[in-house]
Amino acid sequence: MTITVKLVGGLIHTIGFSERVLDLPAGTTVAGLLEAIGIDPARPLIVGRSGWAIETDDEVRDGDRILVSPVFSGG
Amino acid sequence: MDGWTGQFLRVDLTTRTFRIETFSEEFANTWIGGRGFAVKILYDELAPGIDPLGPENKLIVAVGPISGIPAPNTGKTIVAAKSPATGGYGDGNLGTRVTDQLRKAGYDALIVEGRAERPTLLSIEDDRVEFLPADEVWGKGTMETNDWIYARYGKGVGVLNIGQGGENMVRFAVVRSLEGRSGGRPGMGAVMGSKLLKAIVVKGSRPIPQAFPVAMKELGRDDLREVHAMDKEMAWSTQGTTGVLPWCNEVAALPVHNFHGTHHPDAWQVDGERVNAARVATYGCPNCTMRCGIGILDDEGRESEVDYENIGLLGPNLDLYDLSQVAALNYLCDDYGLDAISAGGVLGFYADAIERGAVTGDLRFGDIAGMKRVLGLIARREGEIGNLLADGTREAARAFGHGSDAYAMQIKGLEISAYNCKFIPGMALAFGVSPIGAHHKESWIITFEVKQTTRGSYGRDKAQKIVDLQRIRGGLFESIVTCRFPWVELGWGVEHYPTYFNTITGKDWKLEDFWPISDRIYALMKLFWLREHPETDRSADFPPAAWFDPSNADTEGPIAGMILDREQYDGMLAHYYDIRGYDTRGVPTRATLEGLGLGAEAAAAEAFATLR
Ligand code: SF4
Repeated sequence: MTITVKLVGGLIHTIGFSERVLDLPAGTTVAGLLEAIGIDPARPLIVGRSGWAIETDDEVRDGDRILVSPVFSGG
Repeated sequence: MDGWTGQFLRVDLTTRTFRIETFSEEFANTWIGGRGFAVKILYDELAPGIDPLGPENKLIVAVGPISGIPAPNTGKTIVAAKSPATGGYGDGNLGTRVTDQLRKAGYDALIVEGRAERPTLLSIEDDRVEFLPADEVWGKGTMETNDWIYARYGKGVGVLNIGQGGENMVRFAVVRSLEGRSGGRPGMGAVMGSKLLKAIVVKGSRPIPQAFPVAMKELGRDDLREVHAMDKEMAWSTQGTTGVLPWCNEVAALPVHNFHGTHHPDAWQVDGERVNAARVATYGCPNCTMRCGIGILDDEGRESEVDYENIGLLGPNLDLYDLSQVAALNYLCDDYGLDAISAGGVLGFYADAIERGAVTGDLRFGDIAGMKRVLGLIARREGEIGNLLADGTREAARAFGHGSDAYAMQIKGLEISAYNCKFIPGMALAFGVSPIGAHHKESWIITFEVKQTTRGSYGRDKAQKIVDLQRIRGGLFESIVTCRFPWVELGWGVEHYPTYFNTITGKDWKLEDFWPISDRIYALMKLFWLREHPETDRSADFPPAAWFDPSNADTEGPIAGMILDREQYDGMLAHYYDIRGYDTRGVPTRATLEGLGLGAEAAAAEAFATLR
């Protein structure tokens, strides 16, 4: 299945890309997706699908756009 | 008294005199400093109902016990007065060398009274205070004024100044410092202008009194290094606050087209990646190792220091997606000394009101030349429209009528910062109950809402989180006076701050010892509001009607068809009042005030409010 990942803020610079389309096997979880792009799933993060937060054990779905952001507390 | 100089400097611009006053340790323990000192002084000394732009208003410049000490991000100063934007207590913080210079000069606060006869530069060097002519730079922008001051005093002095916006008493004029720092959104620059006070220069030569200066030096040095290392590892300052823009765009929280839209396909053109790529300079406040000020060139080749709020309001909110054009509006705001958030709010509202036929005019969304022109009219209060818009969105809506107050994006007279809360109930409440108007600095709960609750819920947990964050952000950080960003952006533990406080003051306070003081400060800000607005009710804590209007809901995207629910918002507001010990009208109860050590204030409050 095809998933688009969008990184935010400092993650773009530490991971090395801003947005990428990934081909992942069906049943991949958020944790699996994070590992696939070199992010430790145990790290504090905000992961969102279409503006709504999802958890590391949630499965991603074909066509998803997944937002991965550091945890920040505002300006 | 370790940790405080124990002195205020009181200056009267009318009589060109000054007085050094002392304050007690009990006063310091009760109010800590910064915002705590400012609200107490203003509440006690200002007569109710005074004109915020009259000589009776007072400008307070205040620091806190850890301000200016070499430790993470301690270069901030509070500027405060009765707000010309809201009519209540107003303040803001800004990075400036005034922070350490004021303390080295021997003062924890400067109180400026009266009105000068001619444009004045107030020069403070330890016990020497001079009232110098500033006619040469009256009418000039903050950039030229800053250069003029540096040419005379060198770059090591602390400087606060205003531009044409402050001089002309634009109600959202700010105070400026260094090459790019601004503070005092609720019109603190206008208060300086009303006093014909163009600039303040401070230089001090004394040591800052500290209980354990050697230990503090070592601790501060180590922690500055550690914060720097954390920032490097997380690459936060690579984009600084501008990194949040794509996040807001993706979760549908970006202000687009006067807050009607929440996301836009072109938003990436003005996001943190583009800002970092366009970087020509980096700026920071004193004592900062995660410098977040990013300078880029505008469409006229001028260097403009941008951040998220400014880009959000001057970019997508005005349908502008060319970064150099957004930078140009930002440059003009900085040079005129206008708050860029409110300026973007006012321009967006005006273009919207024209589009909807509430008023006739030729400003259109996306029209950069028009936006620049109207901004200039505002800064100079030129013509009928410049003069009206200079009074802010709330006043403009009153004049335009035709129901335009529904989309006048302000609360209590202060324009809303760059988070569109059409479907973020908790953040909408955070703006609603902010005591100084719709400012993001008091409490910011969007990530908490999105991650740890259901986004669309209206539970007590959100109201509680707002109170918790107000205690840290608006209470602790604004009274010890330091930048919140190490904690906010890098996760630098909040428990570090009592350690700094104790090392400087010799006390043994725990984090929870600061909360009653934070609550006291919030209660007094609320009493200030009530004294000025005795007719106030719950509606003062509500956001504009556009956020409750189903016809204003997004038609596509993450929150399509969703909008705030007025009744449920009211329920969440009730939780907030309950947690804070305020009654159903939002008035602190007598028991709450007495419990916070405000018994005398409670008794006096009977003159303007019936306490329950
Ligand atoms: S993080 Fe930014 S706002 Fe805070 S002290 Fe550093 S430069 Fe100033």
